[in-house]
Amino acid sequence: MFRLTRWLAPTATARAHCDLPCGVYDPEQARIEAESCFRIMEKYQANADETFRARAIGIKEERAELVKHHLDVLWHDYFKPEHLEAVPNLHELFWNANKQVSKVKASVDPADGQKLLDLINDVDAAWKATGGPGKTRVAGRPG
Amino acid sequence: MRPAIEPGDWLLVDPTPIHWPRRGSIVVFREPDGDALAVKRVAAGPGDRVPFADGYLELADDEAWLMSDASAELTAAAGFGEPIDSRRYGPVPVDLLVGRAWFRYAPFRRIGRIAPGPRLSDGVGPAARGNGRV
Repeated sequence: MFRLTRWLAPTATARAHCDLPCGVYDPEQARIEAESCFRIMEKYQANADETFRARAIGIKEERAELVKHHLDVLWHDYFKPEHLEAVPNLHELFWNANKQVSKVKASVDPADGQKLLDLINDVDAAWKATGGPGKTRVAGRPG
Repeated sequence: MRPAIEPGDWLLVDPTPIHWPRRGSIVVFREPDGDALAVKRVAAGPGDRVPFADGYLELADDEAWLMSDASAELTAAAGFGEPIDSRRYGPVPVDLLVGRAWFRYAPFRRIGRIAPGPRLSDGVGPAARGNGRV
């Protein structure tokens, strides 16, 4: 019987899966990567060495990509249509922030990096205005 | 894919179709964004219009719109996030079709043909000729 069952058993498994979000969201993730971009822009300006500058641009590119990723996760997964009541300009805010990341990728001017940090602060305010800290973070973090 | 397909069901899959089977059929296919083997229902087929954003998406001659049976509310109640289907990865080209699931041969109490089920009801149908994709 066991042998028959084994012979009849399917050879492949197909899934009908759903998302399994951890439910933890915080604009701080995007902010830390954006701070890296900002600092790298400052370091780029302070160092004329070609190799240093080439590496700085490469690292800035990587960090900027991570900013985009973290912003997208917040935008697509954390924020819900009902949050538009508390933050009516939500979509415009993310649009501008992501556009600014693209600008940071192409720029070595710390002012562009600062502008991105300001926009992420606005995202942070939107997250807080919708109860993000209480809803999404695990309690017990050192102050 | 409850209630049509339960976890652990053993399915016979017809691997011969070279076109998307008719709307309402359950298909096994490779997910476009991960290559995983998945099972979903054909909600709309080639040439159909699918409501998307504020307009419509017109499916190409080789594309289908594949959907989970479970609603987001149902999966949320089970502790999961939203179903992963064409709303996530868009239209699926026929190259990724593995076959049509047509018969369940286990468990014993559920043996039987898999009947075509619901499909996208509103706003789906053959697109008017000459309309571009949106």
